[in-house]
Amino acid sequence: MTIGSRLEVKVSVSGQFDGVATRVRDIAPVARDPLDSPYEISNQMFAALRHVLHDVGGQPDLPVPFLEKVEEDWEMNTYITCECLGWRGVWNSEERRRAENDLGATLYFGLPYYARWATVAAKTLINKGLITPDELSAKLDEVRARLEAQA
Amino acid sequence: MTRRFAIGDEVTVRDATSMFHTRTQAFTRGRTGTVVEFRPDWVIPEDEAWGRDTPERGGRTEPFYVVRFRQTDLWPRYTGFDIDTLETEVAERWLQPAEKKES
Repeated sequence: MTIGSRLEVKVSVSGQFDGVATRVRDIAPVARDPLDSPYEISNQMFAALRHVLHDVGGQPDLPVPFLEKVEEDWEMNTYITCECLGWRGVWNSEERRRAENDLGATLYFGLPYYARWATVAAKTLINKGLITPDELSAKLDEVRARLEAQA
Repeated sequence: MTRRFAIGDEVTVRDATSMFHTRTQAFTRGRTGTVVEFRPDWVIPEDEAWGRDTPERGGRTEPFYVVRFRQTDLWPRYTGFDIDTLETEVAERWLQPAEKKES
């Protein structure tokens, strides 16, 4: 068993999908190196780490239950805001997807779908000099205070 | 822009390295399929993803194609029908003529 194999299974899709699928079915606790800024990593590990996150087709995974969920207001608001930013020339959908990849695996898969949109919209606006980080923090604090007052 | 491939051409998706962003799925890399449709020239995703989304902003336009793969060519363990196919859009730079099979 290779140390770090859980990540290494992401390496090759074209050549070794068969072996990879077998490995995932055989899922069990394994010994792993913690990913804590190691001094060096194998080329295979690097290939796994730099895999483009949104390219999930054929990546090994396990079944998840399908749960019905209604669209919430904040989700549609996020969608509309991001589309308006595109309409006003701030960014395009492809740029948003790339920015989502740039979040890294922990945030990419950790955030709800539209929270990912909102996060990268904020980062893009800062990157492009349209808002400043302190303006964003101040707004977040203002909204938090308002919500806490209502609660 | 002049197209390099015609409908019906056998093409192989280049197994090139993607950094940060891609629209050419990993599972198509190195696989051979058939051009079944043309798509209009468009800015390639490698430029569009970085804000170079028009020629004025430095975006390079290129012909796109719909490529049809046999599912059994994509997935070694495929359990569906042999005639099942998958179609995806690919920019011209990702395609090369398939090597002729020995007959």
